[in-house]
Amino acid sequence: MLKKNKIYWLEGVTEKGVKSLLNDENSRFSWLRRQRNRRVLVLFMAMGIIVTALGSYYTGLKQELRLDGSAEIVWLTVAVLFILFAVLVGYSLLRIAVRGLADAPTELLDERQVRVRDTSYRYAYQISGYLLITLLLLYFFGPEISLFSDTANDGSYLLIATLFAYASLPSMVIAWRERDI
Amino acid sequence: MSMSRNPEEPVYNRIEEARVALGLSRQDLADKVGVHYQTIGYLEREEYSPSLVLALRIAKSLNQVVSELFSLTPFKKGK
Repeated sequence: MLKKNKIYWLEGVTEKGVKSLLNDENSRFSWLRRQRNRRVLVLFMAMGIIVTALGSYYTGLKQELRLDGSAEIVWLTVAVLFILFAVLVGYSLLRIAVRGLADAPTELLDERQVRVRDTSYRYAYQISGYLLITLLLLYFFGPEISLFSDTANDGSYLLIATLFAYASLPSMVIAWRERDI
Repeated sequence: MSMSRNPEEPVYNRIEEARVALGLSRQDLADKVGVHYQTIGYLEREEYSPSLVLALRIAKSLNQVVSELFSLTPFKKGK
């Protein structure tokens, strides 16, 4: 009889998915689990998030740098490709690199893994506090910004970057701190 | 807000010695006690202190009593 694949709605994962990541030893992504490679991935993701956030100041930046049409297309293409790799692909790779520990439900983890996951959330919460302060400082003292604007600095990129950072931080903390995953 | 690790009182153990004596791999022991094999590695390197429940389960799986397997002071070599 086939065993039912339990869905954990709150975490957004399935039992089979979590177990497969936790016990995955011979995947072609095993090299990612070395601490040095995990840290490089974290740095790329952090850069991707920062570049995405800077997208909010693109309109003002474009005027400052006096970019012409072709230079603007080149810059935009490079930025979009970097963001796609560092944030979207990076997020998927990061989950594989940390065996999905940050999103795994308690009942599928052992006591050490539960501690690692919970500690990562504590640090992620602290770092989120710093990010929030940075956002507030940018809002009050940075260049003028508005949401969904074609003609002025568009704050929606800052919002997207914040959401990505919020979603990725626990995994980034695990990837950075843990010796063996 | 510091990112430093909280220094814990180390728990010394002879898990590796007892495991090898029984001819078990880390994976075998992990399966017996119901943890990830890397948790066995962390325990053997004394980088993680187990809960009492886990210590009891490990001791049982290795046919030892907890006090022979775990200690708050380093074990003497060869004993």
